[in-house]
Amino acid sequence: MTQIFRMWVAKQRATVVTLLIVALAVMALFARFEAKVAVSVLLSGLTLGAIYFLVSSGLSLIFGLMDVLNFAHGLLFMAGAYLGYAFYASGFGQALDSNLRFAIAILVGGASGALLGAIMEWALIRPLYKRPIYQVLLTLGLTFVGTEIIKAIWGTIGYFMNIPAFFNANTPNCPSPSLFDFLSDHCSSILILGRPFPSYRLFVILFGVLAFAGMMILLQKTRIGIIIRAGVQDAEMVQALGVNVRRVFTGVFALGTGLAGMGGVIAAPIIGVNLAMGQEFLLQGFIAVVIGGMGSLVGATAGALLLGLARAIGDQLVLGGLQLPWMEQAISLSPSIARASTVLIMALVLLLRPSGLFGKKD
Amino acid sequence: MKLQNHRLTFGLIIALALFPFALSWLTGEPIDSGTPKFWQGMLAQVFILAVYAVSYDLLMGYTGILSFGHALFFGAGGYTAGILLKHAAWPLWAVVLAVIVVAVILGLFIGATSLRVQGVYLTMVTLAFAQMMFVLSEATDFREWTGAEDGLQGIPVPAWLSPTQQRLMFYFVSLAFCVLSYYLVRRVTQSPTGRVFIAIRENELRARAIGYNTFLYKLLAMVASGVLAALAGMMNALWNLNANPNMLATSTTINALLMTIIGGAGTLSGPMIGAAFIHLLGYGLNAAFGPRWPLLFGLAYVGIVLFLPYGFVGAWRSLIARMKAKRA
Repeated sequence: MTQIFRMWVAKQRATVVTLLIVALAVMALFARFEAKVAVSVLLSGLTLGAIYFLVSSGLSLIFGLMDVLNFAHGLLFMAGAYLGYAFYASGFGQALDSNLRFAIAILVGGASGALLGAIMEWALIRPLYKRPIYQVLLTLGLTFVGTEIIKAIWGTIGYFMNIPAFFNANTPNCPSPSLFDFLSDHCSSILILGRPFPSYRLFVILFGVLAFAGMMILLQKTRIGIIIRAGVQDAEMVQALGVNVRRVFTGVFALGTGLAGMGGVIAAPIIGVNLAMGQEFLLQGFIAVVIGGMGSLVGATAGALLLGLARAIGDQLVLGGLQLPWMEQAISLSPSIARASTVLIMALVLLLRPSGLFGKKD
Repeated sequence: MKLQNHRLTFGLIIALALFPFALSWLTGEPIDSGTPKFWQGMLAQVFILAVYAVSYDLLMGYTGILSFGHALFFGAGGYTAGILLKHAAWPLWAVVLAVIVVAVILGLFIGATSLRVQGVYLTMVTLAFAQMMFVLSEATDFREWTGAEDGLQGIPVPAWLSPTQQRLMFYFVSLAFCVLSYYLVRRVTQSPTGRVFIAIRENELRARAIGYNTFLYKLLAMVASGVLAALAGMMNALWNLNANPNMLATSTTINALLMTIIGGAGTLSGPMIGAAFIHLLGYGLNAAFGPRWPLLFGLAYVGIVLFLPYGFVGAWRSLIARMKAKRA
């Protein structure tokens, strides 16, 4: 029995390590704050993690399959947000109910991300598979061009995207006392352990979970998924077996960038639509992928979750003020410090384990 | 051929040294105002950017290290100079030394950490470090020192070098800075050490097999290019009389890439031409198309990445080689 357990631990080392880190973080959180604060920090972390997942999963799959590090991923995240917002706020959209409008906006974001990604891969990246470093140069250049185009169309000011009516009611009964009540009153926040938490953010978590489940089913249970997983192992071999790998490449690229485009729309009601969002989420996506390990969907998910939790806990600590044992007074810092410190996590992971938690060693 | 190149370089330096006087004579305006003063400023900025581009070429074009965090050094130089001049009132020579020391420390730290990984991982790590500094430069915690998102305004530049009062002096100092940097980098790339850099770019495994400690050489390239970029950042801060978060932003790294790629990576003269091309043409395009002109450079960049992997200078050299082959 112990031997079976030991073998399981050896095989699932990455999972065990991830769970241990999460458990430690959660324990520390509950020790430091009251339960209701800790829970809402955890939920904030999951919300961020869900958005990071939408970026990092595509980055990781694209890199795993075709060895392209897509620096334009943040651009497509941003483009999805802008196009989704454009539809959401447009005159045509106004005729529709805001929930339907939002659902269509998500589709618009996803479709535009997928379409732009497919065109990009087909027209620009494909000629460069023989010159790997130039792909990186190209995708960075595309980010520059795309950002300029967005600036030319929408200007440099940011936009605020309203939360759809389904999550935005503000009646005297609000916040909803429970999740069940929410289904009838659609309050903008729900009481969780007596502390209100924005209901839209719960939807973001749900969306992230559904996207993860969908991707897992696609990769594990379908024929396309088998081809993709085989391609990550050895694309040339798959080609030799008679699969048109080039087409799979384009498809996976579109899938990844489509998820990012959807992510942009999903994130827009929380962070707004602005020119800084692409860069910011690209970087967070990188950090998540590096923590989790390139080329693994589970890794990208674990990385996104760990990073989301780290950000939420970091923000909470920083806002509440930091007091180490030898300090007489707590020092209060701005959230920028928490933002900067996530980069250090990435550097640390790369130094200790360059292949990440779930990555294969090479 | 080689002698001709030297003649060209010397001729260009002399032409640039005489340029303010020639322009003043041609326009009939005094040398320290109006059109001559304006163009001295334009060229001084080109010289500063050229050094920045050359420093990137040493790293990317010669050693083959694709770093996306070069803005970090540029901004670090600017902020170090700005903070020391404004808050500590150090003399300029001490500031220059301090900028070099800071750049060496940063280069060692970032090199030692990021060079443990390769390829795209390195681009990510360097980008992340630069982004961290960018975030910190905007952090309100250090507003007293860095001015947060407004940047560090009103750096007191010594009177003799003031870009507004002593424009001609500033012009010559930045010209000398540019020539000296070019000469130094050229010497480095043509030295045995420079040959090892190129060997690492071409095939690192083989360079290591011959017995070179490639990590140390890459670290050296990182530190050297970092110092040069930091000095360029310092000059830029002196010229603008401020240091702002934009100096640390990814767009500053992309700027280095644009100049290097458009001019021709690994050619040294290419990035300098690229710097002049982008700055001067950008000025013209700005007048013609308004603030969205960088889009054109972005498109040109994408085109060059796709079709002319060695930039203008590379294309020019291969054209000459082809013509010679035809004649022979």
